[in-house]
Amino acid sequence: MLEIAGVHKTFNAGTPNELRALRGVGLRVEDGSFVIIIGTNGSGKSTLLNAVAGSFFVDSGRIKIDGSDITKWPECRRAKFIGRVFQNPFSGTAAAMSIAENLALAAHRGRRRGLGWLLRGNVLGKIREQVRELNMGLEDRLKNAIGSLSGGQRQALTLLMATWLRPQVLLLDEHTAALDPKSADQVIALTDKIVKRDKLTTLMVTHSMQQAAGLGDRLIMMHRGHLIQDFKGAEKKRLRPDDLMARFEEVRRSELLDESAAAMLRRMYV
Amino acid sequence: MSLLIGALTLGFIFSLIALGVLISFRIFSFPDITADGSSTLGAALAAILLVNHVHPALATAAGFGGGFLAGALTGTLATKFRINGLLSGILVMTGLYSVNLRIMGRSNVSLLGASTLANAADRAGGALLGKATLNVMGWEVSAREASMLMAAVLFIVLAGAVMYVFFQTNLGTAMRATGDNAQMVRALGVNDDHMIILGLGVSNALVALGGALLAQYQGFADVQMGIGMVVWGLASVIIGEALVATKSLGLTIAGAVMGSVLFRLLVAIALRIGLDPNDLKLATAVFVFLALVTPALLKRMGKLRAKQPAEASHA
Repeated sequence: MLEIAGVHKTFNAGTPNELRALRGVGLRVEDGSFVIIIGTNGSGKSTLLNAVAGSFFVDSGRIKIDGSDITKWPECRRAKFIGRVFQNPFSGTAAAMSIAENLALAAHRGRRRGLGWLLRGNVLGKIREQVRELNMGLEDRLKNAIGSLSGGQRQALTLLMATWLRPQVLLLDEHTAALDPKSADQVIALTDKIVKRDKLTTLMVTHSMQQAAGLGDRLIMMHRGHLIQDFKGAEKKRLRPDDLMARFEEVRRSELLDESAAAMLRRMYV
Repeated sequence: MSLLIGALTLGFIFSLIALGVLISFRIFSFPDITADGSSTLGAALAAILLVNHVHPALATAAGFGGGFLAGALTGTLATKFRINGLLSGILVMTGLYSVNLRIMGRSNVSLLGASTLANAADRAGGALLGKATLNVMGWEVSAREASMLMAAVLFIVLAGAVMYVFFQTNLGTAMRATGDNAQMVRALGVNDDHMIILGLGVSNALVALGGALLAQYQGFADVQMGIGMVVWGLASVIIGEALVATKSLGLTIAGAVMGSVLFRLLVAIALRIGLDPNDLKLATAVFVFLALVTPALLKRMGKLRAKQPAEASHA
């Protein structure tokens, strides 16, 4: 279970570039729940994921995973609980190292690394088996540098790496945004399969309304550092991409209203 | 012939410095110039212990350990205190100059009469070969020089093999991944700061080991001897990369050793032809500069050439 309570984060505080990215976000994610997060640009979706992952420390609030308070834990310590796939396909893998080495590194996520041999025989066999299941023909290229693969292949492997040891929380940050449509579909299908198979507690940020409507059992909409909508269960199931677009339009309009109302008030009273 | 053997021996000893530079510059992409100070540190520690009758193996190991601490300090400055990597190296290197003077007590320590690894190699070689001179393909070679060369080769092959194995262990691969993609490594639960501190430690330990062996081979340690080591190491690494033309771990290590030996041979030839030894460092710096810019230059020229016929056909 992931618990986020009263989380605030401001970047560049006290400067002209001040950005209040998270303004009191609270969220409880039950075990095995697959949560989709959508929102306008700069709404704080990615910031929320990064706050959970520990890319920075939050200004206030608490973050707990399975009862452990990880608010003050550095990123590398949280990795014991968290699997991550990034938007940039280059971020999740070490380009110069082989496919096998990358996966074997992930097989030790959050564990002590000593002087044992990384690619022991049994690990290699398991890697081959899992990579074969991707149906990308990579199982015979395990010794090749991962940098020689396409973005889609690297993202699929990163997903495999993030879930190799079952994570308490899986964080997917627009992990198909940089891919061509066909690769994106492949990675999404793989995501759905792995999350369902392992019943992973997942937070997934996306810009695609199709993905948002089609995946997950809960949907959260963010705007200006707040959670503004939370669809669960049957309500989430009924959502269609058009409904989501309509909601975005509503948010945009109320925003316009806010601004024009403010302008009107200024004219009248200031 | 003796010149050739000398150059080969130096090349193998210097390859330890090349291996150290390979770790910092290539594996970690960290421009660590601590090596100029840590190579002298290794030599100074070994020399002062040797003249105080410490066992040569122990004295050499002390040099290795000293280098590790120096590198780890640079790594700490760069990670824990967020000082620019290049500046961290400069700070430690500058500080080490005084430290090295303190250790030696003067600017130069002679190892004349001390029992060193070089003497041990000589004795072992003498026992093995059984005569003072050797005939290699019609050339007279002193047994002392031949046995030093063999000892150096043995030592470096061993060091290279240990390095090759180490960088395939869980810890070693985590280090390689840190240099490749620190973000990924953090996401996999590795403290990348610790990896950099440890990695620069290992790098400078190798460099200092090279310094300790060099001092014993040439029979003295000098506070100035480290100047230019980083550039020499880098030159060796670049030559090695050109020789093996691959990124595979084993071949890069072998390449750095070969590069170091080839570089020393080139230096010996250049000196023989009449290069003023005082100009050696300038020549090396120019060489590294050319090696760094030539590939990009060739690429651009290749592009231009590929373009010209196309444009000509348009006209």
